[in-house]
Amino acid sequence: MEETKWEPKVVGFLCHWCSYAGADLSGSARLEYPHNIRIIRIPCSGRVDPMFILRALQNGVDGVIVSGCHPGDCHYQSGNFHARRKFAVIRRLLDYVGIEPERVQFSWVAASEGPKMAQVINEFVEGVRKVGPNRLFKDERRDGE
Amino acid sequence: MENRLKEEAGKLLKEGKVDYIVGYGKGSVKFRTSPLITNKEEELENLVINPFIANNLSRYPIELKARVGIVVKGCDSRSLISLIQDKKVNREDVVILGVPCEGVVDIKKIEKHIGKDIDQIEEIKREGENLTIQANGSNQTLSFKDAIFDKCLGCEYPTPLEYDVLLGTEISPKPDMEKSLMRIKELENMDATDRWSYWREEFSKCIRCYGCKNVCPACFCERCFIDVNIPQWVNTYATWQDNLVFQLIRTLHVAGRCSDCGECERACPVGIPLRSLQRKMVEEVKDLFDYEAGVDKDALPVFTHYEDTDPEEFIK
Repeated sequence: MEETKWEPKVVGFLCHWCSYAGADLSGSARLEYPHNIRIIRIPCSGRVDPMFILRALQNGVDGVIVSGCHPGDCHYQSGNFHARRKFAVIRRLLDYVGIEPERVQFSWVAASEGPKMAQVINEFVEGVRKVGPNRLFKDERRDGE
Repeated sequence: MENRLKEEAGKLLKEGKVDYIVGYGKGSVKFRTSPLITNKEEELENLVINPFIANNLSRYPIELKARVGIVVKGCDSRSLISLIQDKKVNREDVVILGVPCEGVVDIKKIEKHIGKDIDQIEEIKREGENLTIQANGSNQTLSFKDAIFDKCLGCEYPTPLEYDVLLGTEISPKPDMEKSLMRIKELENMDATDRWSYWREEFSKCIRCYGCKNVCPACFCERCFIDVNIPQWVNTYATWQDNLVFQLIRTLHVAGRCSDCGECERACPVGIPLRSLQRKMVEEVKDLFDYEAGVDKDALPVFTHYEDTDPEEFIK
């Protein structure tokens, strides 16, 4: 059987008010972004629990992107400011334990930024493609190669 | 110091200012101490203060839900202040008996240095900057600095930051950060993949006893995410993947509250270097937000507020 080419599978946590609408806009503007992303809509980037990111990686996705409104634009006034603090420590901790920085990305994308959303997803998926499949949580002894 | 403590504790109980005294008593294992919680004056005789008072007692006021007279060292006072900041403990409900502390002796380090088991050690005596250890009838000396916990080497607050009674004189800090953070620096200099294998190897040992979370004064959630089963975030049986994810999330939950008391690592029965995770986050929080946990009881906890100027160069 012919070997199928590996395609990265990434999950995107996009906030309902900005980034999700931004992704929607890039779609209606017929801009192309890779099908590798599975988008999960969340109410606010402040809703993102570090558990979402770690569990996604543990369950085998190759990358996680979290995107919310630009600082100052939050529908709930301060959700993304609080999120920004959390993301900063999550970022540092993931680097420290040795998770490739390309696998987890944080972005600000507004509802009007359709082209930026497409570009962000494109670049992110390319980055993940470069670091290859996520074998972090694979157990060679149990799961095989 | 010990007599002064007994006297002050007795006074507090007699005058009815507190319901309980939380201090250190003699442990069941040689040299070690264990928490002594009592409301009886006659039991105060068993209170001790010595170079082995490793336990961080600041967790007890939350669990006792009463007025408590509590014995704290410098690091413990930061945990307690952190709990006051988080409104888990009322400042009015605690009478803080502060112990200035030059460092707590790590018996494991002594065992390693002199190559003898704790059962063979008969006496440990402090003489100035040295410890004299009597084992199997012969004496050995060891520098006090070589015998204390790594966290104590880098201690910046040897005198409690908040107290009602100070049992002793203030001590000026002499932190040796290089030695205290040695293991973290070693890890930082490793390759990312090596670091991952390192933690993977360490967490393969974890038996999920939850000692780290049970002993941690910053782990005060009434229901831990580990006990939540809808959805079940982490499997309840021990696999290295789940052990690691559990500890990473715990690390993030206590980031900004952790005062590097080192209890998690001390409690760990399989010897996972947990302090290398927690202390690293203490450094990161300081670097990112210029914030230290438990230094100012009136300051807002770091993750309950934000600044417009918070770092975001990592956000693309």
